[in-house]
Amino acid sequence: MYSIETRDLTKKYGDFVAVDHISFTVKRGEIFGLLGPNGAGKTTTIKMLTGLTPPTEGDALVAGFSIVRNPIEVKSRIGWISSEVILDDDLTGWENLEIQARLTGVKNWKERATELLKYFGILEFKDRKAGKFSTGMRKKLEIAMALLNSPEVIFMDEPTIGLDVNTRATMWNLIRQINKDYEVTVLLTTHYMEEADSLCNRLGIINKGRIIAMDTPEELKNKYGGDVIEIELKPGAKLNVSLENTQVTDSRVRIRVNNAESALMDVIRAVGGDNIKGIRVNKSSLDVVFINLTGGTMEEQEFDARRFYAMIRRARR
Amino acid sequence: MMDRLYALYMREAKRIFRSVYMWIMLISQPVMWLIFFGSSFSGVPKQVLISFFHTDNYIAFILPGELAISMLFVGMFSSMSLIQDKRFGYLKRVLITPTPKYDVFLAKVLGGMTRGLIQAPILLAVSVVLGVRMNLTPLSIGVLFLSLAFVGIGFSSLYSIFTLKTADWQAPGVISNLINLPLMFSSTALFPKAFFPSWLKLISDVNPLTYAAELNRGMLLYNDPSWNYLLYLAVFALVMLSLGSVLTNKFLYAE
Repeated sequence: MYSIETRDLTKKYGDFVAVDHISFTVKRGEIFGLLGPNGAGKTTTIKMLTGLTPPTEGDALVAGFSIVRNPIEVKSRIGWISSEVILDDDLTGWENLEIQARLTGVKNWKERATELLKYFGILEFKDRKAGKFSTGMRKKLEIAMALLNSPEVIFMDEPTIGLDVNTRATMWNLIRQINKDYEVTVLLTTHYMEEADSLCNRLGIINKGRIIAMDTPEELKNKYGGDVIEIELKPGAKLNVSLENTQVTDSRVRIRVNNAESALMDVIRAVGGDNIKGIRVNKSSLDVVFINLTGGTMEEQEFDARRFYAMIRRARR
Repeated sequence: MMDRLYALYMREAKRIFRSVYMWIMLISQPVMWLIFFGSSFSGVPKQVLISFFHTDNYIAFILPGELAISMLFVGMFSSMSLIQDKRFGYLKRVLITPTPKYDVFLAKVLGGMTRGLIQAPILLAVSVVLGVRMNLTPLSIGVLFLSLAFVGIGFSSLYSIFTLKTADWQAPGVISNLINLPLMFSSTALFPKAFFPSWLKLISDVNPLTYAAELNRGMLLYNDPSWNYLLYLAVFALVMLSLGSVLTNKFLYAE
């Protein structure tokens, strides 16, 4: 049984293709992650799957209903957690829950809300204004709101962005817990490798609107992993090497090897010690998977983000 | 069905009632109009006042007009509230639930109307203190509030329609600048139209503010209201509300 099934889901803003014919499935009860740099199309995908914006092309079944033909049915079976916490800060925690319950059409919402607040350990703060909550409490309140209507799927858009290390670890545990205790499928987006690695059962790596690899974190590391030796070149360095699995950019050489420690000396000899300004070794991790798949680090890919948003703004006018 | 509108409307209402600044604004603005603007004719000889305004107290003349104007001015807050929800992402939260878009619009309009209606009892009380004698009966008060509700609904809708597609903070201010002053001065809220040039009279004759001011003037001062005017206001409110609901469903997006 699938909770989410997308077929050639596409979103264009003018000429710009934000999401480009992506197809994937998420099984019931899974934690599925979309990993990619800013502007890769993660948020746009969530917007389409939650019925906030219609796809330009393609379709998706969420909780068994088409987002194109039955968005209302989809909306009553999902929960959503934004990357920036969105609450009404002038209202109390309880009032925020009440609005959410009425909007999603939950009967007996008071029992459900009390139970959820107890579950997250914030029941005693229910009459405090949401604006006075700490960041961690706000996140918990938001998750409680997302669970009110007993959703089949919860969408989390970069759930731990802007959180400190401790709160992030707490969030990871919370996500695992609600996935288990409330039997809810989770689709989350992230650009933190370690988050995707530790949290997700399966993972889609998304870049420039396309899913370029999809598997469990372990399999991805097996298939596309390996160590990467990254060499920063001195200005004006002249290279005449051709090694296998090598990418050369203006000031950088990246070489994929099975074991960095044993290959390092050969690599240095091949590039030439005089040309080298610095060396970095990346041991096998999702970082390496990403580099191997896209030919660049997340940071480098992110430069496209600014252009991406500029194009969206232009297309909207 | 009504549950969703109720939830969104209660949110608007709570935010209004809990804001200290809102109360300062709601009380001070109409009261200052009455006291400062209303007193500007107090030295005029009685015969002149009677022949020109058909009452010997200018405050009595502008009270019904000012009540109507205050319903016009609050329209801006519906727009502002909608833009705030876009800016802070709250609209996303709402639109990801099975809530129809027009419920968002209706809640903003009813919120604006509520904000305006709070001003009415304050204005009435201040006028009584200032010595205005009025025909206050359950019927006249009921009709007064009903007519003001129509004006509030109409103008809050109009404002929200104009800013449906924008998330710019500046927009409500610009719209209010373009709407408020022309409508206020082309109505008979502040002055009778006897000396208006003919083009201004034309605007005045379709301006809902004129109908609200004349209806309530007739009722509060002379106990002789023109019921057609109430009908006109009801139609105005209904048309604006329907138009806004349709346009909202079509053009409102979360950001």
